[in-house]
Amino acid sequence: MKTKQTIAIIGATGTMGSAISTSLAKGNYRLLLKGTRQEELNALVAEIKNRHAAADVEAAVCHTDAVWEADIIILAVPFAAEKEIAEKIKEVANQKIVISIANPLNKTYNGLVTAPDTSAAEELQKQLPNSKVVKAFNTTFAADFSTPVIDGKPVDAFIAGNNEEAMQTVSEMVRTAGFNPIVAGDLSISRTLEGMQLLLIQLGNKYNYNRLAGWKILHN
Amino acid sequence: MYELFFQKFNEKVPLTKEDEVLFKTYLTPKKIRKKQYLLQEGDPCNFTAFVEKGALRSYTIDEKGVERIFQFALEGWTISDLYSFLTGEPATYQIDALEDSELVLISKQAHEELLKKAPKYETYMRLQLSGAYIAMQRRLTSSISLSLEERYVAFSSLYPEMIQRIPQHMIASYLGLTPETLSRMRSKMTRK
Repeated sequence: MKTKQTIAIIGATGTMGSAISTSLAKGNYRLLLKGTRQEELNALVAEIKNRHAAADVEAAVCHTDAVWEADIIILAVPFAAEKEIAEKIKEVANQKIVISIANPLNKTYNGLVTAPDTSAAEELQKQLPNSKVVKAFNTTFAADFSTPVIDGKPVDAFIAGNNEEAMQTVSEMVRTAGFNPIVAGDLSISRTLEGMQLLLIQLGNKYNYNRLAGWKILHN
Repeated sequence: MYELFFQKFNEKVPLTKEDEVLFKTYLTPKKIRKKQYLLQEGDPCNFTAFVEKGALRSYTIDEKGVERIFQFALEGWTISDLYSFLTGEPATYQIDALEDSELVLISKQAHEELLKKAPKYETYMRLQLSGAYIAMQRRLTSSISLSLEERYVAFSSLYPEMIQRIPQHMIASYLGLTPETLSRMRSKMTRK
């Protein structure tokens, strides 16, 4: 697509938020970054511009305005914070793509806080019934964004959602970030995807992957 | 966010509160800043854009880099590349904002669903498309059969607000004149 799409990234100063922002800045996107700590946010914007001279990126002051301007919204916030932000942006996110990256982990990282018959993404969809919620960037660690090729293979990044057009748009974003996009299925597949990251975190702790690990499907 | 949209809609097809609630679920609120593109030539145009606030234009750029403006849209107007929207072919126009604007977009997908689901939307769309056809015929007639001066007079009496808000060189491009000709004509007319 030639027309530049605007992406609002909420929670841009977090570990995942800043990794996503930095990697999408090299694509044909306009980025509006929103974070709670304005100074850190300004520093991030300056750093991104320093790294990609052509980057179209700026710090947003208010959630509503950033989302109102955006075509795509990334909620790069923990599961516990998603609900409150969703309520704030509900009206201006109508009909737009909203990406849920959250993994609803419990405090001890040995289970999920969501019931087995739902997921963080499905809970968000219930709250934003007229938005196109897509699960993406949840099976990739922040460190993977600067190293999306591990052991010589591009890391797979899984996407789940109910709207086909939205899946294409998000696949393109995933590719821009340097990952290999795999459309896994409808939004209910998020339960599996969120469980996959729980497993990867547990394995990472057990075998000391140093947070640089990802999923790769081997096939012929 | 949707005030003017529903006001204009109700002027054409009266809606109940329930209709408005249903329609709202299909609308995309979108803010755009001055000079930003809403559509670039070559992409499929998968929306129509109603202007709640602000001003936009659609245009093409020829091989020499000269812009040829097809349409302006101020508050209450709808702008799109209808050819691309209706056929799914790549857009032949670009659309950008002349002022910071607030829009109500209807995506192609929402449009198709509303056509199936809501007869009132179908009526509204039929009237919108008739309006677009009439405007196009008027524009074609004026560019074929009116003199340059008559074109300008007709335009400024039909759309006095555009003369106030839109830069002169763009109005010249819309009317198919060079900016110099337009400016000469205007000073001649004020002398009269």
